[in-house]
Amino acid sequence: MSTNGANPMRPYLGRLAGVRDLATGIKLFQIELAEPEGQATVADYKPGQFAFVSAFGAGEAPFGVASIPARGPILEFAVNALGHVTHTLHTLEVGDPVGVRGPLGNWFPMGEIKGHDVVILGAGIGGAPLRPVIHTILDNRADYGRLTIIWAARAPDLLVFTDEFDEWGAAPDTEFHVTIDREHSDWTGNVGLITQLLEQVNPPSDDAVTITCGPPIAIHFVTLTLKKLGFTLDQMLTTLEARMHCGIGKCGRCNMGEKFICVDGPVFWQSEIAGFLEGFL
Amino acid sequence: MKFTTLNGLRAWLDRLAQEYDLIAPRDVDGHVLYRPVGSSGEILFDYERPELSAKDYLLPATETLLWVEKRGSEVILEEVLPDRRQVLFGLRPCDAHGFTVLDALFLAQDPPDLYYRHHRERTTLVGLACPQMWDGCFCTSMGGAPDDPTHLDVLLREVDGGYAVEPVTEKGMALLEGLALEERSQKPGFSEKTQFLRPVEVPPPERWRPLFENRLWMRHGERCLSCRICTYVCPTCRCFDVTDRVVEERAGVTRIERIRVWDACTSTNYRRVAGGHNPRPTKPERLRNRFYCKFCYYPEDFGPLGCVGCGRCIVSCPVDIDITEVMRDVAERSGG
Repeated sequence: MSTNGANPMRPYLGRLAGVRDLATGIKLFQIELAEPEGQATVADYKPGQFAFVSAFGAGEAPFGVASIPARGPILEFAVNALGHVTHTLHTLEVGDPVGVRGPLGNWFPMGEIKGHDVVILGAGIGGAPLRPVIHTILDNRADYGRLTIIWAARAPDLLVFTDEFDEWGAAPDTEFHVTIDREHSDWTGNVGLITQLLEQVNPPSDDAVTITCGPPIAIHFVTLTLKKLGFTLDQMLTTLEARMHCGIGKCGRCNMGEKFICVDGPVFWQSEIAGFLEGFL
Repeated sequence: MKFTTLNGLRAWLDRLAQEYDLIAPRDVDGHVLYRPVGSSGEILFDYERPELSAKDYLLPATETLLWVEKRGSEVILEEVLPDRRQVLFGLRPCDAHGFTVLDALFLAQDPPDLYYRHHRERTTLVGLACPQMWDGCFCTSMGGAPDDPTHLDVLLREVDGGYAVEPVTEKGMALLEGLALEERSQKPGFSEKTQFLRPVEVPPPERWRPLFENRLWMRHGERCLSCRICTYVCPTCRCFDVTDRVVEERAGVTRIERIRVWDACTSTNYRRVAGGHNPRPTKPERLRNRFYCKFCYYPEDFGPLGCVGCGRCIVSCPVDIDITEVMRDVAERSGG
């Protein structure tokens, strides 16, 4: 599966079908593609893949897809307003035209990890590309072992997908834990870094796969903590992000040594990353 | 050998200029550059290495990828690929070699780059052999030569009274129809006095790998100014950025150009992401990436080395960072 075969640099046209606040500065964009070729191309994208979203006039930027096709044809992206394209996206309203170039990159091996316990570690907006994994497991609950979700953010207002916490926590054979970095007046739950919560939860490592996404520093320390808890690098999946301009291995922007995050990733096993010449941190 | 006089060559070029976009070395305010010419009178036949490579004609410094027209909530996308055919005349063999290096990524790696391929298919390369190697040149170390026909469609060599003409490809052969050629028994070649520079050893990728954390990158990189000139003059540096430019906004209609522009891995914010994290925050790390791309990553990922030995980065660098010195350092430190 890949993006526009005729011209991979041409986005498919679509329209903003919905937009809602996800956290402070972060919105969830729901995009409905208009062109039949676009609809066909995104019909079976996989958890972990990414796509470029165009705000025409500002440009395009890559985002992990936060939805799964099994739950409907609408594509969802969590976007933090930090740069030119993302700020422009935040000004758009329902009905406004947008473009989507994708799906791109590899994906989480949802087939390969069937039958195993899964530990999901999402830090900040890094939770967005993990939501498709959570949805896939919840929708096919019998296919996977115990699901442990560990969610984190710097502050309560930066937690993403809070409206789904109850559903996740109530799912069979699933535990949900959440923490924020520092004490906050609106918060009565766990306080501390995601690594502290991870140590506390201490998920059994014998038959589990971990999937982590977050800022590079969080991925780094989560990896160290997982090792301490007995996990090996070939049990740890992560998805990396980078600034990109093509998504098809040409523009050079996302290289990490001889690897390109866009075509060799964005999903990697930590055991692969350990063999790379250049790190992601 | 096939031979033509300068006059014969000029008449042929004048005809080509009618039919094709003819790009050739020209004097632009004292700078030798590959530039469009209207007739052979504008072309330099006696020149050194043009200051910029010819990559601009296959991978333009600024290229429109799409036109976007926004009328209210309606958007129309228009793909633009100008259907012009071009002849690059007087191309130095190293610059043609640079195109072969770019082909390995833009044509051979799936999916091909439509824009590059479009230009490449419509371009014929007519080279003019260098009579000698110039300051900074090291093509002979990189598998090339001042008179290497390999990557060209036609190679010309200056000989007594005119030019030796060697068609290299069928495309080149076809272009030569209409050029008055004679057979001569003389063989083109360099005079015994021609100075060739001593070749530099090119360490293979596996000898670069163990030196990734070596302090030599501090030594070369700390004086880098992040000015990016090395990447702009380079025939093989190919990084690009994509952005939108609003061209016109009136009566509810916005015309937007989605362009790609040359980019450089030596620039400060190259790897910086929106949140502020920069995995390659220092100059030594960025300069190291440029050299590793050329001698380690590019050959491992796509086949050819990412350097053709044109020497432009050496003569352009304001602080004398010398790629051949880097190669020597790596060769010495890796036990070569």
